[in-house]
This record gives sequence, C-alpha cells and structure tokens, in this order.
Amino acid sequence: MSAEMLLDLEGVAKSFGGVRALNDVSFSVGRGEILGLIGPNGSGKTTSFNVLTGLYKPDGGKVVFDGADLTGATPQAVYRAGIARTFQRSRLCLELSIFDNIMVGNHGRLNQGLWHNLFARKALKAEHDAAFAEARELVALFSPALADTLYESVGALPMIERRRIEICRALIARPKLLLLDEPSAGMTHDETHQLMSDILSVRDRLGGLTIILVEHEMGVIERVSDRCVVLNYGEKIAEGTYQEVASDRLVQEAYLGSA
Amino acid sequence: MLDRISPFAVAVLAALVGVVFAIVFMEQESDVAVISMVAAAAVAAWFAGRIGVPERVARAAEINPGGVSAIAAIGGLAIIAAYAEDHFPLLMLATVMLYATVALGLNIQFGYAGLVNFAGAAFFGIGAYTSAKLVGSGVPAVLSLPLGGLFAALIGLLLVFPVVRTRGHYAAVVTIAFSVLFKTFLEVNDTFGGPQGLPVGAMNLFGWDFGESPTLFGIEASFYLNYALAAFVILALAFTLVRRLERSWLGLALDAVRLDETGAACYGIGIRRAKIFAFVLGNVIIGVAGALYGCMQGYVAPTSFTFSDSLIFVAIVLLGGMGSPWGMILAAAIVVVLPEKLQAIQEYRFLLFSIVVIAILLFRPSGLLPRRVRRYFPEGGR
Amino acid sequence: MDLFGQYVINGLMLGTIYALVAVGFTLFFGVLDVIKFSHGDVLMVGAFTGFTAAAGAAALGLSHPALQLAATVVFALAGTALLGAVIAKWLILPLKNAPRLNILLATLMLGTALRESVRLFYPDGSNPKAFPALLPTSAWQFGQFTLRVDSTILVVTGILVIVGLHLLINRTRLGLAIRAVAQDEETARTMGINYTLIVLVTFALGSGIAAVAGVMDGLYYNEINFGMGLLLGLIGFSAAIIGGLGNLYGAILGGFLFAALQMIGAVALPFASAYKDVFAFAVVIALMAWKPTGLIPERASDRV
Repeated sequence: MSAEMLLDLEGVAKSFGGVRALNDVSFSVGRGEILGLIGPNGSGKTTSFNVLTGLYKPDGGKVVFDGADLTGATPQAVYRAGIARTFQRSRLCLELSIFDNIMVGNHGRLNQGLWHNLFARKALKAEHDAAFAEARELVALFSPALADTLYESVGALPMIERRRIEICRALIARPKLLLLDEPSAGMTHDETHQLMSDILSVRDRLGGLTIILVEHEMGVIERVSDRCVVLNYGEKIAEGTYQEVASDRLVQEAYLGSA
Repeated sequence: MLDRISPFAVAVLAALVGVVFAIVFMEQESDVAVISMVAAAAVAAWFAGRIGVPERVARAAEINPGGVSAIAAIGGLAIIAAYAEDHFPLLMLATVMLYATVALGLNIQFGYAGLVNFAGAAFFGIGAYTSAKLVGSGVPAVLSLPLGGLFAALIGLLLVFPVVRTRGHYAAVVTIAFSVLFKTFLEVNDTFGGPQGLPVGAMNLFGWDFGESPTLFGIEASFYLNYALAAFVILALAFTLVRRLERSWLGLALDAVRLDETGAACYGIGIRRAKIFAFVLGNVIIGVAGALYGCMQGYVAPTSFTFSDSLIFVAIVLLGGMGSPWGMILAAAIVVVLPEKLQAIQEYRFLLFSIVVIAILLFRPSGLLPRRVRRYFPEGGR
Repeated sequence: MDLFGQYVINGLMLGTIYALVAVGFTLFFGVLDVIKFSHGDVLMVGAFTGFTAAAGAAALGLSHPALQLAATVVFALAGTALLGAVIAKWLILPLKNAPRLNILLATLMLGTALRESVRLFYPDGSNPKAFPALLPTSAWQFGQFTLRVDSTILVVTGILVIVGLHLLINRTRLGLAIRAVAQDEETARTMGINYTLIVLVTFALGSGIAAVAGVMDGLYYNEINFGMGLLLGLIGFSAAIIGGLGNLYGAILGGFLFAALQMIGAVALPFASAYKDVFAFAVVIALMAWKPTGLIPERASDRV
C-alpha cells in the first residue's frame, strides 16, 4: 500500500444468502484521483459503495481509508472519517427545503448540543448564518438561480436540480472522498454531461477532491475518469485507463454477455 | 385585497375574531346555536382560506414570531379571563390546553422523528397516577409535575430498546401492546386502586392552594382558574420548546431520521440517539401534562387512559397537521370542545372522530394547518 | 393433570382463533404491504352478522341447531368477505401510495367506526349478547379428563380452515395469483393477473377467515360484544408481527405462541392469573426487542 493512496480495499467479500455479491475485490484510489467503477448490472458496484459506507458489513477483507481501518465501521463513522456519497435513487428529503437537505449533509460540522440548540439562540443564529452563506455559495457554483431559493422545498425541483442539491449535500462537509452512484440515473444525456462539468469545476475550486464514480454511461466515464476498475459478478476483472479496460477482452465479453 | 394590510395586522385581526368567536361559542347552550356557529366558523374559515389569511398570518409569524406568539397568548388568556367564574368552561379550556400539550409531545415523536406512539394515553396516565400517589403524601406538590414527566420518561425507557430497534409496523405493535398492557395492569393492581382508580388531592404550589378559589379584583373566581392558568403555562413552555426544537439542527436531524434512516446514517446522524431523544422528550412533556390533569380531575381511573384515548391523541396530531405546533392547539380545541358543546353528538363522538380522521387521511393528509417549510430564524426584513 | 389438560385444550382453542386472525393480517400484508387494523372489528361484525342470522333463522322457524349454525356461518362469511373487499376497494387501495403508517391509522380509525356503529346502531348494541349454543354440549370422559365435544369441533374446524388456506395458497391457480401479487405488483400485471381483483379477493378471503374466528369465539364463550374485536385484532396483529409479517406459518406460530403465553401466565404467575394479558403483552414487547422483524423475518426491503 503506497502512502499517496487515500483508499485501499483488500480482498473485500460480501454474500447475501448464498449469492456472492462481492468476491475478493481489491483496488485503491489515489489522492485527487477520479476512479470509474464500472461493470454490467448486478456486478457489485453499488454493493461496493454500501460496504464502503458501512451500510453492509463485509464478510471478509479490509477497508483502509486515509490510514485508518474502516472495515465494518458504522455509516456514521465512515462519514466522520471523510467519505460522503450520493445514491442511485435520489434520497433527498422531498418535504424539506433545499437548505435543510444540504444541512443534513453538514450534520457533523454543526453543533448538535442540547443547550446550544434549544437555549443559546444567539450562538445558534451566528452558526446558522455562516452555514447559510456557505450553502448559498456552494449551490451558486452549480446553479446561481437555485442559490436564491434555498427555502423552497426540494419536492418541486426537476431531476437535475435534485442531483445538484444531492451533490451539494455531499460536498458541504468537505469530504476527502466523494462516492457518486450513477449520477446520470433519471437524467438526459445532455443533463448528465452538464452535471459532470459542474462537478469537475467544483472539484477544481475545492482542490484535490477524490471521487469514485459508478456510472453506466461510458461517455461520462471516458471523459472524466483517470482510471477504471471493472467488476463482473462481484469480481474485479480489469483495471487501468478507460482505453485499456475498453480494449480488454474480459471486459468486452462481460458487457456483450450481459447485453 | 389583503396585500394592503400588513401581515401583523392581519394576525391581530384574526386573533381578535378567533377570541370573540371562542368566547361567544362557549356561551351557547342550545344545539341549534352551536351547530349554526360551527357552520358559520367553517364557512368563515373557508373564506379566510380563499382570501389568503393563513398565508398572511404565517408570513407574520415568519417575520415576527415573538409578536404572533404574544398575540396568541394574550388571546388565550382573554378567553380564560372571560370565564374566570365558571367551573365548567374553565375545566374545558384547561383540558384543551393539556390535550394540546400531549399532542405537542406526540408531535416530537411522531411528527418529527417518525416514531409512532400509540400509548400516548398511557404516558399521560403515568403522569396522572404519579400525582395521585404523590400529592398529599408529603411530597411537595411543586415536584409532582416534573416527577410526572420523569416517571413517564422512565417507564418509557422500558420500551426504548424495542422502539428503537423496530421500524414501522413493528414499532407500532410495541406501543399498542404497551397501551393495552398499561390499562390492564391498572385494573388488576390494587396499589393503584384497581378499576375504581384513586382520588387525587388538590395541588399546592408554594403555598398557592389550587383547591381554593382565588379572588381577583374583588371577584371570587372558580378554583379551576388555578388549573387553567397552570395548564396555560405548561402549554406555553411546551410550545416554546417544540418550536425551538423544530427550528434547530436537532429538529432537522429528527426530520432526516423520519424521512430516510439510511440516508441520515450516511450523513453521520445517530439514528438511535435521535429516536431515544425524541421518545424521551415527548414522554416527559406528556407526563407533565398528565400530572396536572390528574390533580385537576381530582381522581384517576384506568378508563381515562385506554387505547381509544391514545387514538384520540394521535387523531389530534393528524388533524392539526403532523409537525405543526399551531395545528396541535387548533385540533385539540376542536376535538375537546365540540363534543362537550354538542350534547347531541356526545354519544357519537368516537364515531365522528374516526370518520373525520379517515376523511383527513384520504383528502387532506397534511392536516388543518399544514406544517410549513422550516425557517430557523425570522427573516429580518428581507 | 386434569387442570393441565384443560389449560392445553383452552390454549389450543385460543391459539386456533388467534392464528385465524393473524393469518388475515399476514395475507393483507403479503399482497399490499399494509396493516389493516380494522381486521379485529371486521371479525366482530362477522360475529354479530352470524348472531343475527342465527336469531333470524330461529325466528323463521328453523329450530334445528345445525340449520341455525349453517345460517350463522354462511351469513357471517359472506357479510365479512363483502365488508373486507369494500374496505380494500374504498379505503386501502386509494391510500396505497400514502405513507405506510397512514394506512395503519386510517384502518385503526375504521375499526373504531365499526365498533362504535355496532354499539350505537345495533339494537341494544352496547350490551353483550348471549351467543346461542349451536354445537352439541355433551362431553367425552377420559378418566379424570373431560373433553367437550363443542371445543373439539371448534379446534378441528379451525385447523381444517388453516390447512385449507395452506392448500389454497400453495396448490391452486388463485393461490398462485395471490403469491404473484405478493411478490411484485408489476410482475403480476405482466403475467396477466387482474391485480385489483386479486387484492379484493385476498381481502375478502382474509376477512372471511376472521368471521370464522369470530363465530368460533362466540360459540366458545357463548357471548359476543361490540368491543371483542379490539383485543382479538390486537392479539392477531401481535401474533402476525412476532411470527414475522408476510409469512403465513409465522402468523400461525405467533397465534399459538400468544395463546401459550397467556396460559403460562395464567398457570405460572404466583400472584394472580389476572396478569396473564399483562404478561403476554410484556413478552411480545420483549420479543420485539430481541427479534425486531419477527421470529421468521420478512424479506429484506430497504433498497439502497
């Protein structure tokens, strides 16, 4: 394991009943890298995310993040260690406002003390105003118009705006690693490319954000990823640049087989 | 039309109309008068909704929440003052306020954290039985209210483990089972008076004897005035607490837990902690209200704390609008006062409530005063 | 030994009734993922319908108990099956996409409405009714142990209904359709199954089974009252939950388990058998803490 690696998965395994969803999967992500995690449907991409973020406990293997062992850690501990994610199916709280949703992502940095929240309203207001300004700034990077409507409820927004809010929610706490689970789901081709451009420009401004991207739109992967890991039936079958894996025989077979 | 009047003026006007209506309404004796007033109120409410009164009042509350709360408090006190000499209306008003307090407690559990509690009447009963056991047994009465809350929370802790581990229907069965268990236990247990229940002594707070009729400005008021005022204070405290909770990071965390546990966990929110916090805090509020209710009634019996009563509390929360503190007060008023005033429907009240709640769930699931998007602080001129 | 035997028979009797109620909860949960809490009160309506039918049959001069029993069962079954389908059609299907707990609440309230309607509008509805003894009252004697014929008939009938339901679900085209709908609405539709019809039939079926339980309860205790459905529904719900929702055998297991708990509570608790329900519900709460999704857990749901 080299020192500049941010995340190391070593031999991670996960089964459901008799089905092996992940079998001895190992890969690493370097600091500042964008890793594309690809594979046919059911190949274990989202399961990898769920193991990484502590929603599933792995049956075997090891997850090391930024020098700390995160194997089998709770989702809360994973978040505190600096990993934030988005979900394949949007998990925004539709009844809540844009600001509320983003503040859910900011949970760890906000003072959750009983006294502070219920009785120290002045201090809470100062904290609130700072957080509001920060959220506004972040949203403005994606969509200046949206930044003026932070108190609108999320339920009324179109899909692309919801994706943006979801990514803002993941970014507000300044994670070291961002996991994007199929950001293109439910969006048009153009919207997806628009969104990826936004993410890339935001990443440049934040400086050095590491991203793992699960995506089935290969155009997106080709455009943004530094390196790819290909899964099939829960096993890693290839690793390398997009050009390398795209010309790999095993990868071609996996995709043709599933097509 | 309303745009020319400032939101705050609209709120004052609405409060004035509401107070006058409440005072006149409670005066009525005949079913015809009561029904016509209810009908008039329904039409007026519909009309007010059409011309945008609720939005203006809500706007006023966003700009100046303290001012709007003050108007409401003055209005409430005015209604109490208007009936300072009459036992029955005061008892009814105090009941409204205590039921509203219970609904506020349930609202933390149900409306914010998404924890269904079908044992609201049981925790209310724990508070009341605490009073029955403590008042007159040498424990200072001033302690019986907080102790009522404390015992409700402590006994609630017995349920915390299953409540926190289960979700949805599985959690519902825990509180439903407890609700039935509680009433059955009271009926068979002699220490708590069995089916007959127990008498409760009058409260005495720092030498202020709640059983004595206070004399105000030379008028001898009903001794229920003491309870009405105490209930008012408890409601005001609970309301402020719930309001502040909602407009804080803690309230947001509870919402996140209710709406999406998995998502909340991935953003670092401790699900169990949030649920335990909401469950305990809600039970404390319900227990305090119950302790005062016990003293006010003068006796406690298992039949006042049944599963059906729990359902009435849940109905109040739904009728008012989950998560909406103002809604809790309005709904409590409707649910308590209407059957009392309409003797004709008194017998049919459970039937009518159940039909009304079903209608609300089908046609207006967000309640009479739906919860609005959270604003943590007043806007400050923007 | 004699007393112990009576407890066992009593437990079997109650367990059968509970299992019949619990099975309904599980059927409804299976097809629609909802809890229909009015189930217990539908049972009560079934018992009252049966009671009325028996009285009507007697008034028409059908004095033979077997005829009265037939009238009781036919009317109770038909009435509740219809009621169940009506509730599904007008209350539960419209709320299908609402939050799950809204449906629980709506049906809780519907249960109250049914209960109150019987109390207020059934002639002298607020008082208990003496349910006619329509079964032979003789008994078999085995040494010290007395086995009543009516209890035996009831237990055997109940078990036959459960077995019949098992066969219906596993061996018939209707059962296949119900299982398909329970699996997945979309799949069922693409298989050409009339989704709404199957849902309504399932609700009619579950409600009809509840009516059997209601009539059994009436025949066993020789009394029915407007409130009987609340506790029976609650116990049936608890039984379905401790068994694990959506699992037919879990519900049956849960029903007998609950009855066993009550009997253990009545026999073993030193102070008073009055605490048997307190004990049984306390164990239910403890079971939920131990196995939050029931003894036979439901299929995992939360997709990420």
